[in-house]
Amino acid sequence: MRKFNTKFFRRALCVAVNLLPLTFSAVHAAERASGDPNATSLRLSPAQYKQTIADVFGTNIVIDGRFEPEVRERGLLALGARWANVSDIGIERYDDLARGISAQVVGPNNRGTLISCKPKSETAADDACARMLISKYGRLLYRRALNENEIATRVKLANDAATTTGDFYAGFAAVLSDMLISPNFLFRYRTVEADPAKPGAKRLDGYSKATALSYFLWNSTPDDQLIKAAENGELQTVDGLQRQVDRMVGSPSMESGIRAFFADMLHFSDFETIAKDTTYFPRYSTKINDLAQEQTLKTIVDHVLANKDYRDLITTRDTYLTRSLAALYGVPITDTADNGEPDRFIKHRYPEGDPRVGILSHVSFLALNSHSARTSPTLRGKALRENLMCQVVPAPPGNVDFTAVEDTASETLKTGRDRLLAHSSNPVCAGCHKITDPIGLALETFDAAGGYRTTENGAKINTSGVHNNVNFQGAADLLPLIRNDRALTSCVARKIYAFGTGKMPPRGSAEWDAIEKKFGEDGYNVLRLMRQVALSDIFYAVPPAEVDTATRN
Amino acid sequence: MQPGVRLFCMRAAALVVGVVFVPASGAMAAQTYGYMVSSLSTATWNDYATNCPQNLNGYGLDVTRRDLIAIGFSKEEAEKMTGADADAERLPRDVAQRLLLRATVNGKPVSHYSAPEAVPNPPVIESVVGPVALGFDLDGKITGTEFTDPETGAKIDNQLWRAIGCSENFRAIPPALPFTEELTWALAIDSAPAWMMSITGEDLTKDGPVTVTFERATKHLERDANGDVMTHATYVVDPMGRSHNVLKGEIKGGFLTVANVPKFYLQSEMPFFPEIELDKAQMRMQVMPNGKLLGYWGGYYDWKRYAYMITSRPGSGADTLGLYHSLKRFADATPDPKTGQNTQISMTYRMEAVPAFHSTVDGKILASPAADASVSAAMARRDPEVKPKAGPSPPRAQVK
Amino acid sequence: MKISILARRQVLRGMMAGSALSVGLPILDCILNESGDAFAATGKPLPERFATWFWGCGLGEGNWVPKAAGADYELPAQLAPLKPFQKRMLLFSGSHIMLDGANNNTHTTGAMGITQGEPNKQFKGSIDTIIGDHIGRGTRFRSIEVGCNGDPGATWSVREGQGRQPAEISPIKLYARIFGPGYADPNAAEFTPDPQVMVRRSVLSGVKEERDALNSKLGAADRAKLDNYFTSLRSLEQNLEVQLQKPDPLESCSKPNPMEGVDKGALSLASEAMARAGIFAQLLAHALACGQTRVVNLALTQGISPLRQEGDSTNHHAYTHEEPIDPVLGYQVKAAIFQKQYMQALHDFVQTMDSIKEGDKSMLDRMLVFAFTDHGAPRLHSVRNYPLMFFGTANGRLKTGMHVPRMGDTTVRIGFTAQQAMGVPTSAWGAGSNRVTTPISEILV
Repeated sequence: MRKFNTKFFRRALCVAVNLLPLTFSAVHAAERASGDPNATSLRLSPAQYKQTIADVFGTNIVIDGRFEPEVRERGLLALGARWANVSDIGIERYDDLARGISAQVVGPNNRGTLISCKPKSETAADDACARMLISKYGRLLYRRALNENEIATRVKLANDAATTTGDFYAGFAAVLSDMLISPNFLFRYRTVEADPAKPGAKRLDGYSKATALSYFLWNSTPDDQLIKAAENGELQTVDGLQRQVDRMVGSPSMESGIRAFFADMLHFSDFETIAKDTTYFPRYSTKINDLAQEQTLKTIVDHVLANKDYRDLITTRDTYLTRSLAALYGVPITDTADNGEPDRFIKHRYPEGDPRVGILSHVSFLALNSHSARTSPTLRGKALRENLMCQVVPAPPGNVDFTAVEDTASETLKTGRDRLLAHSSNPVCAGCHKITDPIGLALETFDAAGGYRTTENGAKINTSGVHNNVNFQGAADLLPLIRNDRALTSCVARKIYAFGTGKMPPRGSAEWDAIEKKFGEDGYNVLRLMRQVALSDIFYAVPPAEVDTATRN
Repeated sequence: MQPGVRLFCMRAAALVVGVVFVPASGAMAAQTYGYMVSSLSTATWNDYATNCPQNLNGYGLDVTRRDLIAIGFSKEEAEKMTGADADAERLPRDVAQRLLLRATVNGKPVSHYSAPEAVPNPPVIESVVGPVALGFDLDGKITGTEFTDPETGAKIDNQLWRAIGCSENFRAIPPALPFTEELTWALAIDSAPAWMMSITGEDLTKDGPVTVTFERATKHLERDANGDVMTHATYVVDPMGRSHNVLKGEIKGGFLTVANVPKFYLQSEMPFFPEIELDKAQMRMQVMPNGKLLGYWGGYYDWKRYAYMITSRPGSGADTLGLYHSLKRFADATPDPKTGQNTQISMTYRMEAVPAFHSTVDGKILASPAADASVSAAMARRDPEVKPKAGPSPPRAQVK
Repeated sequence: MKISILARRQVLRGMMAGSALSVGLPILDCILNESGDAFAATGKPLPERFATWFWGCGLGEGNWVPKAAGADYELPAQLAPLKPFQKRMLLFSGSHIMLDGANNNTHTTGAMGITQGEPNKQFKGSIDTIIGDHIGRGTRFRSIEVGCNGDPGATWSVREGQGRQPAEISPIKLYARIFGPGYADPNAAEFTPDPQVMVRRSVLSGVKEERDALNSKLGAADRAKLDNYFTSLRSLEQNLEVQLQKPDPLESCSKPNPMEGVDKGALSLASEAMARAGIFAQLLAHALACGQTRVVNLALTQGISPLRQEGDSTNHHAYTHEEPIDPVLGYQVKAAIFQKQYMQALHDFVQTMDSIKEGDKSMLDRMLVFAFTDHGAPRLHSVRNYPLMFFGTANGRLKTGMHVPRMGDTTVRIGFTAQQAMGVPTSAWGAGSNRVTTPISEILV
């Protein structure tokens, strides 16, 4: 059974102090920018934006600026991208970014590699050179060939600007900057064309397919080869699509896609608002925020690229550590780099019996889902349920009677378990807390920074509990239960689909059920799953609303 | 030490991270705790009431005034040049030169830093007459020059303290440390390879014999988010082994002690702690509630080297010439066969160390932090660090 | 007098075609005076300003409600830091946000109701944008939102159809935005429009011309999204336009000293948030005084205040739920410490606005500061009995110095009254049980 009976829990009143997330934007629709669920355009995420610029203009371009905050919808920023629009502040920021990038592209350092034609005069307009650049970069940035009208308009603007400023390059930079704030760049659209195989029906055009594919697998813009495959119709054939998908899955750029997906699923964007108290956690410096994410992503990428079983991420003893992460965890690590060299990530394997197994023992899970100076078993349990198992935890209701928690002097309630029991001894509250707290309490031997401890305020920490009617003593025997929970694999599959399309998989779809089944038969191989999704029909399905629109033309 | 140290002590349980499941490198019989030396300074004992009753040495300007008188200015002139409206930092260039070139070698004026022996009428600074100082009985004899150690009550040798203890630079009560030493240490530890210390014994929770091993690490000390030395980091032993010391010690009566080390040597790269070399060394240390070690190293040190270390440090109020000759006067061991002048002086260092992991270059874990503060109960510090009662600062000196 | 965007573009195109730009064309004057306001130097009425100030986790069960109504009331202990401004503020109590069966999303629904007139409406324009659209046309920034604990989600400003405007969390970056390269000193003797800005302004037409082509390819929902994108684009246009025009002098404007240092980002201590709020208050006051915007919004934190005191691991929000009410004092002692700190920060904000002198009055007198919170009594997540304050007289249209109990009334009426006080031509606001058509007349002059 995938979902809990939400009706029951909505009726139950919950005391949920620890349930309330640090920034209350997680689950609620309050964040939607526009209300129409039929929108299909997806705003580029900051990571996609940066990756795209790096792929189009090279890694010399420094992207120094801020982005519009993303919108998280049902646990994924990729779903929120459908709602995300560009606000006043957003357009300002994109404009700043665009001008910064354009200036560098035409600047003396990069001009040699990026501007492949020479204007007749550097201080005046040059039609031919401007045209060449605009077509070339327009195609890469808009992910389709620009039509003649678009090119001509822009060439004229570039010429005008070049004449006004007396600088050809400034003229082109102005137009490039313009293109970088255009919705054609900032949003991925799914546009349709007539389907020759089914008269009267529509299908996604080649460009839309290429865009969907590349942002799914590579988290970036289609490369030249992929755009060509779109243009020559290759992507509309079964063999052609498969050729491209296999090329992409085998490419090193696949790592970007894997990283982007898991960073989204694990809510790494929340790290922006993490502030740990260094009096309690002196080894949690601000750079740990970045190192923690990198540790988990490296661990996952390694695992996935080695074609390992996804479920083993919950129980694996392998990870990567730097010296400062190791000190935070309280484990030894040998780094033989010379004095003065920066910390490196080193492969680390925890010994048998070590309590730290799997990604749930990483700082990126433990510290992210804690308060600044205290753990929150409820937050951790909720994160596991919602982020990794797609199980909805009902929000705390507004009208709550808190008289049950009056007597919470901390002298008597020493551990997290004691404090939570005082809240959820009220049977009305226990209903909801039963979903989250046993899991979180099993992890109480990890403090709010991710360090290991056996006592809290002098009292021994009790990590036992029940999960799916099975008793466990602590994390060591809970995690295998989680690993084998069907919700774990079903959830990652659905979220991977959502990452690629901006929508959860369609209900009652036989094709989707087959994909999930194959995922299991393939030993829960994430790479193969992504390949399957990229080759499926539902990935490229044309929603009804678009069919209506297309017939308007 | 940071002001937050007290808060650290209160949050002891939070800081001492449980380190379980780290495999012991040797047989089950031996336990080894790892540490990194996080602070080193000359041990001070500043009882202002009794140490320097004449209060002659004074502060920076007083030293300058004395020097000016020594090179021929009158008391009034000296006071005017260092008075409130004068800028003593920028004495007239010729005066500054004369102050500098007070030594005479082959008839020529030479910097007194390079030739302190060649200064006629070197200054005699006040030395410590108070009865108390930290240290060890290094020579096994009572000669009447000893102090009483405030922690152990024993009669101890620390002639270095006699020599320099009335100098402003060393007038600090922990957590404050001698100014230039603290400054130098704080700057240097971010680049100089660190010193490692491990304690090995059958059962470190009980009294018994132990081995204390010192090494130098390949890397410098790490700092945590508060700027303090980070605990629980891993350091790799420098395979060169120049600073490898294996010392016999014991845990007894609440202390870990090390005695009769003929030569204790640690090499560094710091500009002002180039090396530590103590003869007939002894040590004692205890574990603080927050898991850090606090202790003392004593032994005989080459007094000239110590004098040059002081003179090469930046800082104000260091009467370098006075200190040189004072150290020379109080040197109490190993006479030069030709001149009879003692070449070494008894001294004590104050040391702190934080828990750490030690590893060889090949990844073998040699030592780990103690799992729990209570495990080190055998050498746990029951009382706060011994200190003299803080009195009012000494008044301005009388320049005679 | 409104001038369409097309006409503006033609004007500027015409200007671009010429080699030099002359300042003070009559058409430009009309553009500037669109809202009908003008500036002190020309003797016309002074600009309107509006500010919202938000703090999280309310004030407690209700022992903060003064006994007396009207002018002679005793300021409760939690509000003691506001004493210096008691005569110049209005304190509202007793009002509720009516839920009409809607879900009470803790720490969200109430504040949304207060700012948007309807609880749980994701994209209904908020009060600051409504007022800002009326008083703030022609400024470089339509509004400025800041959050003081490093969370860009600490904001209640919602532009119709676009969603929440993210809050600026970095004082240094805010300084660069306002007083960086795009800033034109209104009191400078010379003004030369930057040709780079002219180029940017003209090139923007390229994006706008893509609109029709895109529209023809998209579904209805995506077209609506695109519309909202172009609304934002217009504000960028506006920003550039303003940079091309000589600003009218503003006597109270002075550019603050450059800010240096390193941004800390997310923080968790109340004292740090207070300090940041103080810096933001300075920047916002300067931005208002220098005509860069007319509307500013400051949120100390999001509704669930995660702030802590030094050395304490329990945050304010946790205290509001965990701490028992002191039987003798009648309130939560530790939570009250935070409340007092927030009120001190509010006092400092108001004082900063007051420190800008304009003519014989201060900027505070002429503006309206609207202070609100997410829950009346946070312990119970109550959306009843809200503490709200007004500071300032809205250019003389509001009375001050009173405690205004509104037992049983909808809080939305307070926001509606603010809109009317700021001159917004509105006759109704809110929906369902929160719908109001009449203001609180006893506070309007």
